[in-house]
Amino acid sequence: MSVNVEISSIFGRYTGNVLNMKVEGKTVRECLHDLVRQFPDLKRMLLDGDGNLMHSYDYFINGESVYPKDMNRPLKDGDKLNIIFVIHGG
Amino acid sequence: MFTAEELQRYDRQIMIYGFGEAGQEKLKKAKVFLAGAGGLGSPVAIYLTAAGIGTLRIADHDKVELSNLNRQVLHWEENIGKRKVDSAAAKLGKFNPGVKIETIAETITEANISRLVGDSDLIVDAMDNLPTRYLLNKTAIQKGIPFFHGAVYGFEGRAMTVLPGKTACLNCLYHGASVPKEKFPVIGVTPAVIGCIQATEVIKYIVGLGELLTDRLLNFDALRMKFNEFKINRDPNCEVCGNKAKRVKKK
Ligand SMILES: [Zn+2]
Repeated sequence: MSVNVEISSIFGRYTGNVLNMKVEGKTVRECLHDLVRQFPDLKRMLLDGDGNLMHSYDYFINGESVYPKDMNRPLKDGDKLNIIFVIHGG
Repeated sequence: MFTAEELQRYDRQIMIYGFGEAGQEKLKKAKVFLAGAGGLGSPVAIYLTAAGIGTLRIADHDKVELSNLNRQVLHWEENIGKRKVDSAAAKLGKFNPGVKIETIAETITEANISRLVGDSDLIVDAMDNLPTRYLLNKTAIQKGIPFFHGAVYGFEGRAMTVLPGKTACLNCLYHGASVPKEKFPVIGVTPAVIGCIQATEVIKYIVGLGELLTDRLLNFDALRMKFNEFKINRDPNCEVCGNKAKRVKKK
Protein backbone atom coordinates (compact mmCIF):
# COMPACT_ATOMS: atom_id res chain seq x y z
CA MET A 1 0.00 0.00 0.00
CA SER A 2 1.88 3.00 -1.22
CA VAL A 3 0.50 6.49 -1.84
CA ASN A 4 2.30 9.24 -3.76
CA VAL A 5 2.36 12.53 -1.88
CA GLU A 6 3.15 15.91 -3.38
CA ILE A 7 3.54 18.95 -1.14
CA SER A 8 3.72 22.66 -2.00
CA SER A 9 7.16 24.24 -2.50
CA ILE A 10 6.68 26.26 0.69
CA PHE A 11 7.10 23.03 2.68
CA GLY A 12 10.44 22.34 1.00
CA ARG A 13 12.45 23.83 3.84
CA TYR A 14 11.05 21.18 6.19
CA THR A 15 11.83 18.25 3.90
CA GLY A 16 15.23 19.12 2.46
CA ASN A 17 13.39 20.29 -0.67
CA VAL A 18 11.85 16.88 -1.29
CA LEU A 19 8.37 17.67 -2.62
CA ASN A 20 7.33 14.27 -3.97
CA MET A 21 7.45 11.24 -1.74
CA LYS A 22 5.90 7.82 -1.18
CA VAL A 23 4.08 7.03 2.03
CA GLU A 24 2.31 3.98 3.45
CA GLY A 25 -1.26 4.07 4.72
CA LYS A 26 -4.85 3.10 4.03
CA THR A 27 -6.39 6.47 4.94
CA VAL A 28 -5.51 10.14 4.63
CA ARG A 29 -4.70 10.12 8.34
CA GLU A 30 -2.36 7.12 8.10
CA CYS A 31 -0.60 8.61 5.10
CA LEU A 32 -0.10 11.98 6.78
CA HIS A 33 1.25 10.28 9.85
CA ASP A 34 3.70 8.28 7.75
CA LEU A 35 4.67 11.51 5.99
CA VAL A 36 5.56 13.28 9.24
CA ARG A 37 7.34 10.14 10.46
CA GLN A 38 9.59 10.39 7.38
CA PHE A 39 9.90 14.19 7.64
CA PRO A 40 9.55 15.03 11.33
CA ASP A 41 9.94 18.79 10.80
CA LEU A 42 6.65 18.78 8.88
CA LYS A 43 4.72 17.56 11.90
CA ARG A 44 4.29 20.85 13.74
CA MET A 45 3.51 22.55 10.41
CA LEU A 46 0.79 20.18 9.27
CA LEU A 47 -0.83 18.46 12.21
CA ASP A 48 -2.70 19.76 15.21
CA GLY A 49 -2.63 18.28 18.72
CA ASP A 50 -5.17 15.61 17.75
CA GLY A 51 -3.13 14.54 14.75
CA ASN A 52 -5.56 16.13 12.25
CA LEU A 53 -4.51 18.25 9.30
CA MET A 54 -4.54 21.85 10.48
CA HIS A 55 -7.27 24.19 9.31
CA SER A 56 -4.93 26.21 7.12
CA TYR A 57 -4.14 23.26 4.84
CA ASP A 58 -6.14 21.39 2.32
CA TYR A 59 -5.73 18.16 0.40
CA PHE A 60 -6.74 16.78 -2.96
CA ILE A 61 -6.88 13.14 -4.01
CA ASN A 62 -5.81 12.25 -7.54
CA GLY A 63 -5.97 15.93 -8.45
CA GLU A 64 -9.57 16.41 -7.27
CA SER A 65 -11.41 17.92 -4.36
CA VAL A 66 -13.24 15.44 -2.12
CA TYR A 67 -16.20 15.99 0.19
CA PRO A 68 -16.49 15.73 3.07
CA LYS A 69 -12.85 16.47 3.95
CA ASP A 70 -12.41 13.51 6.23
CA MET A 71 -9.09 12.37 7.71
CA ASN A 72 -10.37 8.77 7.65
CA ARG A 73 -11.03 8.82 3.91
CA PRO A 74 -9.63 5.59 2.44
CA LEU A 75 -6.81 5.70 -0.10
CA LYS A 76 -5.82 3.02 -2.61
CA ASP A 77 -2.44 1.80 -3.70
CA GLY A 78 -1.02 4.27 -6.22
CA ASP A 79 -3.29 7.17 -5.24
CA LYS A 80 -1.88 10.68 -5.32
CA LEU A 81 -2.34 12.93 -2.30
CA ASN A 82 -1.60 16.66 -2.73
CA ILE A 83 -1.17 18.78 0.39
CA ILE A 84 -1.50 22.53 -0.08
CA PHE A 85 -1.40 25.57 2.15
CA VAL A 86 -4.52 27.74 1.93
CA ILE A 87 -2.75 30.82 0.63
CA HIS A 88 -4.37 34.15 1.37
CA GLY A 89 -2.07 36.97 0.31
CA GLY A 90 -2.84 39.61 -2.25
CA MET B 1 -20.32 53.10 -31.29
CA PHE B 2 -16.68 54.00 -31.04
CA THR B 3 -14.76 57.12 -31.86
CA ALA B 4 -11.92 56.91 -34.38
CA GLU B 5 -9.51 57.27 -31.51
CA GLU B 6 -11.05 54.33 -29.62
CA LEU B 7 -10.92 52.15 -32.71
CA GLN B 8 -7.26 52.93 -33.03
CA ARG B 9 -6.54 52.37 -29.34
CA TYR B 10 -8.22 48.96 -29.30
CA ASP B 11 -7.32 47.96 -32.87
CA ARG B 12 -5.03 45.05 -31.96
CA GLN B 13 -7.54 43.35 -29.67
CA ILE B 14 -10.51 44.00 -31.94
CA MET B 15 -8.45 42.07 -34.52
CA ILE B 16 -8.52 38.92 -32.36
CA TYR B 17 -10.77 36.27 -33.86
CA GLY B 18 -14.10 36.30 -32.05
CA PHE B 19 -13.40 39.61 -30.31
CA GLY B 20 -14.31 42.31 -32.80
CA GLU B 21 -16.02 45.62 -32.16
CA ALA B 22 -18.86 43.70 -30.54
CA GLY B 23 -16.48 42.38 -27.90
CA GLN B 24 -15.05 45.83 -27.34
CA GLU B 25 -18.58 47.16 -26.90
CA LYS B 26 -19.24 44.53 -24.21
CA LEU B 27 -16.10 45.62 -22.35
CA LYS B 28 -17.16 49.24 -22.57
CA LYS B 29 -20.54 48.47 -21.03
CA ALA B 30 -19.13 46.36 -18.19
CA LYS B 31 -18.74 47.44 -14.60
CA VAL B 32 -16.13 45.60 -12.54
CA PHE B 33 -15.90 45.59 -8.77
CA LEU B 34 -12.25 45.23 -7.80
CA ALA B 35 -11.71 44.42 -4.13
CA GLY B 36 -8.17 45.50 -3.32
CA ALA B 37 -5.68 47.84 -4.98
CA GLY B 38 -2.54 46.05 -3.83
CA GLY B 39 -0.34 43.34 -5.33
CA LEU B 40 -3.11 41.55 -7.23
CA GLY B 41 -5.26 44.64 -7.66
CA SER B 42 -2.50 46.56 -9.46
CA PRO B 43 -2.14 44.27 -12.51
CA VAL B 44 -5.89 43.58 -12.60
CA ALA B 45 -6.63 47.32 -12.67
CA ILE B 46 -3.87 48.15 -15.15
CA TYR B 47 -4.84 45.48 -17.70
CA LEU B 48 -8.59 46.00 -17.42
CA THR B 49 -8.05 49.72 -17.86
CA ALA B 50 -5.76 49.17 -20.83
CA ALA B 51 -8.34 46.83 -22.37
CA GLY B 52 -11.04 49.49 -22.13
CA ILE B 53 -13.36 48.24 -19.41
CA GLY B 54 -16.30 50.63 -18.99
CA THR B 55 -16.27 51.18 -15.25
CA LEU B 56 -13.76 50.01 -12.68
CA ARG B 57 -14.95 50.37 -9.11
CA ILE B 58 -11.98 49.91 -6.77
CA ALA B 59 -12.34 49.32 -3.04
CA ASP B 60 -9.36 49.56 -0.70
CA HIS B 61 -9.09 51.19 2.73
CA ASP B 62 -5.29 51.16 2.93
CA LYS B 63 -2.72 53.88 2.50
CA VAL B 64 0.46 53.33 0.49
CA GLU B 65 3.48 52.19 2.51
CA LEU B 66 7.11 51.82 1.46
CA SER B 67 6.91 48.05 2.02
CA ASN B 68 4.13 47.82 -0.60
CA LEU B 69 6.32 49.01 -3.44
CA ASN B 70 8.03 45.67 -4.19
CA ARG B 71 4.78 44.40 -5.70
CA GLN B 72 2.01 47.00 -5.82
CA VAL B 73 3.11 48.55 -9.07
CA LEU B 74 0.24 51.05 -9.26
CA HIS B 75 1.78 52.91 -6.32
CA TRP B 76 5.01 54.85 -6.44
CA GLU B 77 7.33 56.34 -3.86
CA GLU B 78 5.64 59.75 -4.23
CA ASN B 79 2.33 58.17 -3.13
CA ILE B 80 3.52 56.93 0.27
CA GLY B 81 0.99 57.97 2.90
CA LYS B 82 -1.74 58.58 0.30
CA ARG B 83 -4.87 56.46 -0.04
CA LYS B 84 -4.32 53.55 -2.43
CA VAL B 85 -7.56 54.19 -4.27
CA ASP B 86 -6.52 57.78 -5.01
CA SER B 87 -3.04 56.74 -6.09
CA ALA B 88 -4.57 54.04 -8.32
CA ALA B 89 -7.20 56.33 -9.85
CA ALA B 90 -4.57 58.97 -10.75
CA LYS B 91 -2.40 56.43 -12.68
CA LEU B 92 -5.30 54.62 -14.32
CA GLY B 93 -6.79 57.90 -15.51
CA LYS B 94 -3.53 58.59 -17.32
CA PHE B 95 -3.38 55.10 -18.84
CA ASN B 96 -6.81 55.41 -20.32
CA PRO B 97 -9.04 58.42 -19.67
CA GLY B 98 -11.90 56.57 -21.38
CA VAL B 99 -12.35 54.28 -18.39
CA LYS B 100 -14.56 55.44 -15.54
CA ILE B 101 -12.76 54.84 -12.25
CA GLU B 102 -14.86 54.82 -9.09
CA THR B 103 -13.07 54.68 -5.74
CA ILE B 104 -14.21 53.38 -2.39
CA ALA B 105 -11.91 53.92 0.59
CA GLU B 106 -14.16 52.03 3.02
CA THR B 107 -13.33 48.71 4.66
CA ILE B 108 -15.42 45.94 3.11
CA THR B 109 -17.70 44.48 5.78
CA GLU B 110 -20.67 42.13 5.89
CA ALA B 111 -22.87 45.18 6.52
CA ASN B 112 -21.74 47.30 3.55
CA ILE B 113 -20.57 44.80 0.93
CA SER B 114 -23.84 44.51 -0.96
CA ARG B 115 -24.09 48.29 -1.26
CA LEU B 116 -20.42 48.67 -2.24
CA VAL B 117 -20.66 46.07 -5.00
CA GLY B 118 -23.94 47.67 -6.09
CA ASP B 119 -24.87 46.85 -9.66
CA SER B 120 -21.39 45.71 -10.73
CA ASP B 121 -21.36 42.89 -13.27
CA LEU B 122 -18.73 40.85 -11.47
CA ILE B 123 -16.34 40.80 -8.51
CA VAL B 124 -12.56 40.45 -8.67
CA ASP B 125 -10.93 39.17 -5.51
CA ALA B 126 -7.64 40.97 -4.97
CA MET B 127 -7.80 40.95 -1.18
CA ASP B 128 -5.07 40.15 1.30
CA ASN B 129 -7.14 38.07 3.73
CA LEU B 130 -9.46 35.07 3.69
CA PRO B 131 -12.48 36.39 5.65
CA THR B 132 -13.10 39.19 3.12
CA ARG B 133 -12.63 36.70 0.28
CA TYR B 134 -15.39 34.50 1.72
CA LEU B 135 -17.59 37.57 2.06
CA LEU B 136 -16.99 38.55 -1.58
CA ASN B 137 -17.66 34.98 -2.73
CA LYS B 138 -20.92 34.88 -0.78
CA THR B 139 -22.02 38.25 -2.12
CA ALA B 140 -21.29 37.16 -5.68
CA ILE B 141 -23.39 34.01 -5.19
CA GLN B 142 -26.24 36.04 -3.66
CA LYS B 143 -26.17 38.59 -6.47
CA GLY B 144 -25.72 35.91 -9.11
CA ILE B 145 -22.58 37.51 -10.56
CA PRO B 146 -19.23 35.83 -11.27
CA PHE B 147 -16.36 35.87 -8.83
CA PHE B 148 -12.70 35.84 -9.85
CA HIS B 149 -10.50 34.48 -7.08
CA GLY B 150 -6.77 35.01 -6.81
CA ALA B 151 -4.29 34.60 -3.97
CA VAL B 152 -0.53 34.62 -3.53
CA TYR B 153 2.10 33.60 -1.01
CA GLY B 154 5.82 33.83 -1.63
CA PHE B 155 6.49 32.39 -5.08
CA GLU B 156 3.15 30.57 -5.17
CA GLY B 157 -0.21 31.71 -6.47
CA ARG B 158 -3.69 30.39 -7.23
CA ALA B 159 -6.70 31.44 -9.22
CA MET B 160 -10.22 30.15 -9.82
CA THR B 161 -13.29 31.56 -11.53
CA VAL B 162 -16.73 31.04 -10.00
CA LEU B 163 -20.00 31.17 -11.94
CA PRO B 164 -22.68 31.28 -9.24
CA GLY B 165 -25.01 28.30 -9.12
CA LYS B 166 -23.07 26.62 -11.92
CA THR B 167 -19.52 25.99 -10.74
CA ALA B 168 -17.68 25.35 -7.50
CA CYS B 169 -17.36 28.42 -5.27
CA LEU B 170 -14.55 29.49 -2.95
CA ASN B 171 -16.38 27.96 -0.01
CA CYS B 172 -16.73 24.62 -1.83
CA LEU B 173 -12.96 24.76 -2.22
CA TYR B 174 -11.80 25.80 1.24
CA HIS B 175 -14.87 25.32 3.46
CA GLY B 176 -14.15 28.42 5.45
CA ALA B 177 -10.58 27.30 6.23
CA SER B 178 -8.80 30.07 8.06
CA VAL B 179 -5.29 31.34 8.34
CA PRO B 180 -4.27 33.80 11.02
CA LYS B 181 -4.00 37.34 9.58
CA GLU B 182 -0.30 37.92 9.39
CA LYS B 183 2.34 39.56 7.28
CA PHE B 184 2.81 37.18 4.36
CA PRO B 185 5.94 36.80 2.24
CA VAL B 186 5.61 37.76 -1.43
CA ILE B 187 7.63 38.96 -4.41
CA GLY B 188 6.04 41.20 -7.05
CA VAL B 189 6.20 38.75 -9.94
CA THR B 190 3.81 36.32 -8.24
CA PRO B 191 0.79 38.67 -7.97
CA ALA B 192 1.75 40.02 -11.41
CA VAL B 193 1.18 36.57 -12.92
CA ILE B 194 -1.94 35.75 -10.91
CA GLY B 195 -3.48 39.23 -11.33
CA CYS B 196 -3.00 38.96 -15.09
CA ILE B 197 -4.71 35.56 -15.06
CA GLN B 198 -7.64 37.11 -13.20
CA ALA B 199 -7.81 40.02 -15.65
CA THR B 200 -7.68 37.55 -18.55
CA GLU B 201 -10.58 35.61 -17.09
CA VAL B 202 -12.60 38.81 -16.62
CA ILE B 203 -12.02 39.85 -20.24
CA LYS B 204 -12.90 36.36 -21.55
CA TYR B 205 -16.05 36.28 -19.44
CA ILE B 206 -17.24 39.70 -20.58
CA VAL B 207 -16.41 39.21 -24.25
CA GLY B 208 -17.63 35.59 -24.17
CA LEU B 209 -14.47 33.90 -25.42
CA GLY B 210 -12.78 30.62 -24.64
CA GLU B 211 -13.08 28.40 -21.62
CA LEU B 212 -13.12 29.83 -18.13
CA LEU B 213 -11.11 28.64 -15.15
CA THR B 214 -14.21 27.16 -13.56
CA ASP B 215 -14.28 24.00 -11.42
CA ARG B 216 -10.50 24.17 -11.61
CA LEU B 217 -8.03 25.64 -9.17
CA LEU B 218 -4.98 26.84 -11.05
CA ASN B 219 -1.83 26.53 -8.99
CA PHE B 220 1.28 28.48 -9.99
CA ASP B 221 4.56 27.40 -8.44
CA ALA B 222 7.11 29.94 -9.62
CA LEU B 223 10.01 28.21 -7.87
CA ARG B 224 9.45 25.05 -9.91
CA MET B 225 7.99 27.19 -12.73
CA LYS B 226 5.03 24.90 -13.01
CA PHE B 227 1.35 25.47 -13.50
CA ASN B 228 -0.89 22.64 -12.42
CA GLU B 229 -4.57 22.45 -11.64
CA PHE B 230 -6.88 20.62 -9.33
CA LYS B 231 -10.40 19.68 -10.31
CA ILE B 232 -12.79 21.28 -7.85
CA ASN B 233 -16.20 19.70 -7.66
CA ARG B 234 -19.18 21.63 -6.36
CA ASP B 235 -19.95 20.52 -2.84
CA PRO B 236 -23.68 19.74 -2.67
CA ASN B 237 -23.52 20.61 1.03
CA CYS B 238 -21.68 23.92 0.58
CA GLU B 239 -23.10 26.43 3.07
CA VAL B 240 -22.83 29.18 0.45
CA CYS B 241 -23.83 27.67 -2.89
CA GLY B 242 -25.11 24.17 -2.06
CA ASN B 243 -28.52 22.70 -1.31
CA LYS B 244 -28.28 23.68 2.33
CA ALA B 245 -27.83 27.34 1.46
CA LYS B 246 -30.90 27.26 -0.79
CA ARG B 247 -33.02 25.68 1.94
CA VAL B 248 -32.02 28.37 4.40
CA LYS B 249 -32.77 31.08 1.86
CA LYS B 250 -36.32 29.83 1.25
CA LYS B 251 -37.31 30.03 4.93
ZN1 LIG C 1 -19.94 26.51 -2.83
